[in-house]
Amino acid sequence: MADIHMAVPPVRVEELQFHQTLSSSTSLFSCPSSPSSASCASSCPSSSSSSSCSSSPGCSPHHRHPLASSLSSLGPSSESGCSSDAISLETEPVPDLIIDPTVAQRACQEVLEKLRGVGTPSQGEGDNQHSPLPTSPCGTDNGSVHLEVVDRGTIQEEDEAGVVGGWDEKEEVPAEETGGDSSDSPSAMSESESVSSLSSSLPSSPLPPVSASSSLSTSSSSSSSTSKQSWLLRLFESKLFDVSMAIAYLYKSKEPGVQAYIGNRLFSFPESDVDFHLPQLLSMYVHMDEELAEAIRPYLLQRCTQSVAFSLECAWLLGAYSSDMHISRQHHSRGNKFRKHILSNLLQQTAGGEGVDSAPGSPSERYLSPVRAHRHQRSKSDAAGPVGVRGGIKRSGSNPKVDGSLEEPVRLTPQREFIKSLMVIGKRLATLPTKEQKTQRLISELLLLNHKLPARFWLPTANFHHHVVRIPHTQAVVLNSKDKAPYLINVEVLECESFETSSIPVRIPETRVRSTCSTENLPDCGVAAEGRSGVGVVTTVSNYDNDDEAWAVDDIGQLQVELPEVHTSSCDNLSQFSVDSITSTESKEPVFIAAGDIRRRLSENLAHTPTTFRRDPEDPSAVALKEPWEEKVRRIREGSPYGGLPNWRLLSVIVKCGDDLRQELLAYQVLSQLQSIWEQERVPLWIKPYKILVVSCDSGMIEPVLNAVSLHQVRKQSQLSLLDYFLQEHGGPTTEGFLTAQRNFVRSCAGYSLICYLLQVKDRHNGNILLDSEGHIIHIDFGFILSSSPRNLGFETSAFKLTSDFVDVMGGLDGDMFNYYKMLMLQGLIAARKHMEKVVQIVEIMQQGSQLPCFHGSSTVRQLKERFHMSLTEEQLQVLVDQMVDASMRSITTKLYDNFQYFTNGIM
Amino acid sequence: MQQRGCVLPLSEEEEEEEEEDEEEEEEEEEGEKKTAMAQVEKKVGLLGLRTSSSKKPLKEKVVLMYDDIFARDDPAISNPRFWDELFLMKVNLEYLEAKLESLDGDEVLKIKNNINSLFHHCIQALGEEHQIKVVNALQTLCALFRGVHRKNKSATGFDIINMLMGFDKAELRMKDLMERLDSLLCGDGSESLKSLCLKLLLCLVTVTDNISQNTILEYVMINSIFEAILQILSDVSSRSQHGYDAVVLLALLVNYRKYESVNPYIVKLSIVDDEPTLDGMGMVVHQALTEYNRQYKDKEEENQGGFLSALSSMVGSMFVADADEKLSVQTNEAILLALYEAVHLNRNFITVLAQSHPEIDMAATSIDPVPTTPTTPLGTTPPSLDLMNSAELPLDPNLQTSNLLITFLKYSSIVMQDTKDEHRLNSARLCLIILTCIAEDQYADAFLHDDNMNFRVNLHRMPMRHRKKTADKNSPSRPLVCAVLDLMVEFIVTHMMKDFPMDLYMHCVQIIHKLICYQKKCRVRLHYTWRELWSALINLLKFFLSNETTLLVKHNIFHMALQVINLFNMFITYGDTFLPTPNSYDELYYEIVRMHQVFDNLYCMVLRVSTNAGQWKEPASKVTHALINIRAIINHFSPKIESYAAVNHISQLSEDQVLEVVRSNYDTLTLKLQDGLDQFERYSEQPKETAFFKELVRSISLNVRRNVSLNTLSQDVLLKEFSSIS
Repeated sequence: MADIHMAVPPVRVEELQFHQTLSSSTSLFSCPSSPSSASCASSCPSSSSSSSCSSSPGCSPHHRHPLASSLSSLGPSSESGCSSDAISLETEPVPDLIIDPTVAQRACQEVLEKLRGVGTPSQGEGDNQHSPLPTSPCGTDNGSVHLEVVDRGTIQEEDEAGVVGGWDEKEEVPAEETGGDSSDSPSAMSESESVSSLSSSLPSSPLPPVSASSSLSTSSSSSSSTSKQSWLLRLFESKLFDVSMAIAYLYKSKEPGVQAYIGNRLFSFPESDVDFHLPQLLSMYVHMDEELAEAIRPYLLQRCTQSVAFSLECAWLLGAYSSDMHISRQHHSRGNKFRKHILSNLLQQTAGGEGVDSAPGSPSERYLSPVRAHRHQRSKSDAAGPVGVRGGIKRSGSNPKVDGSLEEPVRLTPQREFIKSLMVIGKRLATLPTKEQKTQRLISELLLLNHKLPARFWLPTANFHHHVVRIPHTQAVVLNSKDKAPYLINVEVLECESFETSSIPVRIPETRVRSTCSTENLPDCGVAAEGRSGVGVVTTVSNYDNDDEAWAVDDIGQLQVELPEVHTSSCDNLSQFSVDSITSTESKEPVFIAAGDIRRRLSENLAHTPTTFRRDPEDPSAVALKEPWEEKVRRIREGSPYGGLPNWRLLSVIVKCGDDLRQELLAYQVLSQLQSIWEQERVPLWIKPYKILVVSCDSGMIEPVLNAVSLHQVRKQSQLSLLDYFLQEHGGPTTEGFLTAQRNFVRSCAGYSLICYLLQVKDRHNGNILLDSEGHIIHIDFGFILSSSPRNLGFETSAFKLTSDFVDVMGGLDGDMFNYYKMLMLQGLIAARKHMEKVVQIVEIMQQGSQLPCFHGSSTVRQLKERFHMSLTEEQLQVLVDQMVDASMRSITTKLYDNFQYFTNGIM
Repeated sequence: MQQRGCVLPLSEEEEEEEEEDEEEEEEEEEGEKKTAMAQVEKKVGLLGLRTSSSKKPLKEKVVLMYDDIFARDDPAISNPRFWDELFLMKVNLEYLEAKLESLDGDEVLKIKNNINSLFHHCIQALGEEHQIKVVNALQTLCALFRGVHRKNKSATGFDIINMLMGFDKAELRMKDLMERLDSLLCGDGSESLKSLCLKLLLCLVTVTDNISQNTILEYVMINSIFEAILQILSDVSSRSQHGYDAVVLLALLVNYRKYESVNPYIVKLSIVDDEPTLDGMGMVVHQALTEYNRQYKDKEEENQGGFLSALSSMVGSMFVADADEKLSVQTNEAILLALYEAVHLNRNFITVLAQSHPEIDMAATSIDPVPTTPTTPLGTTPPSLDLMNSAELPLDPNLQTSNLLITFLKYSSIVMQDTKDEHRLNSARLCLIILTCIAEDQYADAFLHDDNMNFRVNLHRMPMRHRKKTADKNSPSRPLVCAVLDLMVEFIVTHMMKDFPMDLYMHCVQIIHKLICYQKKCRVRLHYTWRELWSALINLLKFFLSNETTLLVKHNIFHMALQVINLFNMFITYGDTFLPTPNSYDELYYEIVRMHQVFDNLYCMVLRVSTNAGQWKEPASKVTHALINIRAIINHFSPKIESYAAVNHISQLSEDQVLEVVRSNYDTLTLKLQDGLDQFERYSEQPKETAFFKELVRSISLNVRRNVSLNTLSQDVLLKEFSSIS
């Protein structure tokens, strides 16, 4: 959040000038009446050429709100207006908007009038918190004001100044801008030109602190409401106005006009950016006032009609976030209504205009055709008897989800059913007492699920389009949990163009793998080759014909073994010529081998296999997680009938049932945000946010961390100290392998130490800390963060978990790596606090209306902010980090907690 | 509309009846009276049957009508509505069958036309709306088939066809019949009706002792009802009620002239790839085998006395009412045959074997267009369905997870315990054949060896003097192949008897060989206690040695010995590819050296036999060659161990000490690589097993026929069901 406010002023001014010069209109935004609208219109052509005005027919359904629809038109104009800007920090794709130029023109007028109209009374309040001014979001982020301006440059130096002068400055910023604008145009022009020249050089050479502060200090503290409004508008139109900012304004502004504007501005953002903030958007939709909900709604509706995946994610999140409301209100709540609307499939009909779902009828047609073909072919294959009527009935049992949905709303159903059945499995498993039984049950349940595949299912945690074709059921494992039954499954998918329109792959019988892999069966190979090319509907059908033939030829051949006529020919089929036994048959000379060689080969073979974990009935997941992912992929691919296809991929997912993953989702967002901050600030901290899919308030899916086992499993299986385990896995202390792993360990340790401190992650026993094959540690299970801690036992008082084991891996207290660790933490903390608002905002919005335990109490956000220590100097921060490290290391409570976990849960 | 149509002829009928015969007037009127009446009728019928020649007692109307048919004239001449009326009468099976049986060859010819038209009208009646007519027609057909066959045991099939249908019409009639049956089986009609259809088919299939001599089946081949059977198996509710009959029927049909002609059922069965159907078949087999296992367990407990077991067997009899009797008495070869055919013919069926929990049905949890309201006029669903749903859907934590393969292995372990009884011997043999097929299948091998699919399989073990019975109650959860190996070891150990089941042993050793070949090929290192297998095999050799003379009279023990020695050779030369630990390789040597006496003696014996001219010369000399490596090992290590003992002044070396000697002396030992150790002959039913299967099918036919005849008589339920329409 912080960088938004800081970074904007200079840049915004610059681009404002750009606008002005472009349109040669003198007072562009200062008077929001006719001139500005004219400018809007004039700037539109330039933009509309690049943005997708051609797709205008599609916008009608969601633009019921006149203001809303008109406001949305502002998006592209501003966007493209600054697209030529030298200052673009990240290249944004041209938003595909659907705007009628005339509508847009009218909209500009309306918006500006609206802004002016509503701006006046709020100004009267004079309260930063409630005014629609940009100052209100800034109101809380005192210290960070300055940091952005001097981005990447002299951060530390400006830091204190920023802290001191923050409050005034941000008040001044708008004033300065608006003041410049509202005065006569030539002066504004000249001034802003100078600023623009300054700021345009920003990316290449950092803005000198002097100039920044000088530009800020020139401002006056008083400003009129109209000028503020226009300032706001220009901010919104600026290139730097990103989703994060938009969300912040949405949240903090109580101004319907602003809300409506931003609601439509959302259309112009890249979808992936908005998707990241979807939990915030939906949480606001559910818990905040009606105006806000109305403002967001068109955007959500539009996205829902476009994408099944988005619809489902919305529906799931809405369901989850609505669950915190009181039961009586819940049912009729806005969130639930919207959720029902999405699920009712009404949206598909309204899908108009551009893109995939152009004609309402055709997508469903296209959608179904492969299914039908599929079914038809299948029934033909096994029923060719005198009574042909039956073919359809019979087949219908096998693919019930796909077939059954012929008349049902077909759009969301398959995927919902898929997820539902995964959840049901989890629920069933929870009733079984032992891990062994759970695993067996899981395998059999998945085998049944397999019968319904391939189908229009996909894993929401993946980032490419695909269809699920098979679940290698025997590879599924039940994870360690005391009373729930989370489990990990691997899922074979075939990548495709689009899961909504691409045809569903043809089912290949499970046993087919034998014929393709073991014997050279020509017809089978033909099928495999065809399947490779077969993405379209046409090939699908022909494919299956071939398949049938293959079967027929094949099986009759096999049959003839039993028939007397051909029997003689097939009786000499000595089979199973292993490659290893080539020695025989031809060469009649005896071959001698030394017994010692055999024995040696045996021990060598066993020694050379990578270290594996023993199979433990109490911990079935250990072995499965230890196996290197590549290895697993190769193995599963070999055993899969689909393995030969080039677009074959293996994914894995953890299905959690009975757990609330909303906190995990929050943690994921915070982690991702911090990760990108650190990346942006070039701090080499390593963390691994893992994707979360919230399906309801008590179920969801988690993207597993690959190649990682828990420290508990490491300990239990290897019976080694962590350092010895590192040495065993990566080589001696001076080898490159070990050093790389050690560096990885330190970076990840530092990253997660900060995370643990900032988010107050608790319940840090060794079962919740993973170690991956490269030496990174990864913290999982963010069930206790912020204000909640397990059973409030008061254990884990230290800031984060740093055991002597960890320190040993880092080379001891005096080692370089340990110092590197502390240094990384300091850098990380500095970087993090620079962007504190971005992080805090995620948490703050989610707190709205939430009953999550992490928001227990009223001071959650305040305490979170305090942990960023905005008021400390860098030296003070360094002291703080040292203190925390010291305290954590000495912490008896960590040890106590580990012991506690060992005695109660058997976690080492 | 349909109901009215039903009522109308009934009331007309009643009037007519009143005119003709007052005794029968109330036939279809009220439920209670009717059942009472039925009993009276039955008695009368029986009475009439016994005393038909002497007195002319009261005859029920249907009997009179039968008599009309057996007169020479066309009964329809005197009574144009004769055939309509006939199928409204409750069938008197005994009378009809007895009547048919009592006919002489000449008489048959005389009334051939009438029988033909009876057959014809039966088929026509199958298409009637009125279900009572259908029921009666089905039963009449049953009686016709059976009566005619019972009479003409020696007659050719063609004569029978001629007698029933007439040569010229036969094809048409049978086509009609099969189509009617097919539509009855697949329609939404009453479940009891479907059941009766299956009974009729079973009846038809088993009328001859040798199924291949049943010429009528040629028409069943042409007019396939395969699809109907599959549909029954794929649907949950129909499967639970008729699955057993359907599966048995299919197994029998597949065996019709299996070796002589192209049997369409074989072809079709082999290409089925529809999972629900295959699963359904698997479930039926699973249930039957589970039921057997359960009953065996109950019986076992009963021996210790218990009232609980009696109670549970009562529940069991409710569950599979008809299968119960068969199972409790003897093994269920019919279902085993069905399993064999499925495994042998259909490669897709292999996946079903590994499918756990067949109880959870897909259709039950999915959106399936299964009619939830049964179309039966009775308001209740059949009890078996209820029981199935209630008993199996909730999770029982105490219940071990099971799948068809596990159930089958348990079943096998029970059956193999005692092979003295011929049925059990047959079953054991069939079990081993099925296991052979499974062991050959690569997909099956894959899941047998899958490290992630661990199960506890509690095999039944014969109580023996020298071992405790409950020793391994808590066997660890292991890959399934361990259970298979255990079973094989168990069999080897427990069947060294005078009446040596050589071919069973052959199957057994071959199964082990096939599994090891897979492990070698795929480098699967199974954590199995191979030692048990080694010592079992060595004991088998010992048994051969001590019973050489008696065994040689009947069997080629050298072939068997060769197989066993080759198994050892597999371990010796390829052990590096599949043994779990280096230690296990040492143990192999230890075991061989420890039991060197057996190998020495074997060598002496085969040397002796191979030097003598005789029929065993060649096989014996093969064994001599195969023994090269084992002899090399013994000759290499024995002196080393002795000298170690001498040097260290130990009289009795401990195992560890011997292993130490073995370990340190590998390098001076050279082994000869033997040919084709990892090659095996694929199982083929022909020609080795043809005789067995022919005999097996014959015995199954007899069995099924006996049981079907019992069931068709208890049709009161049916009548009750259908007469209450009005």
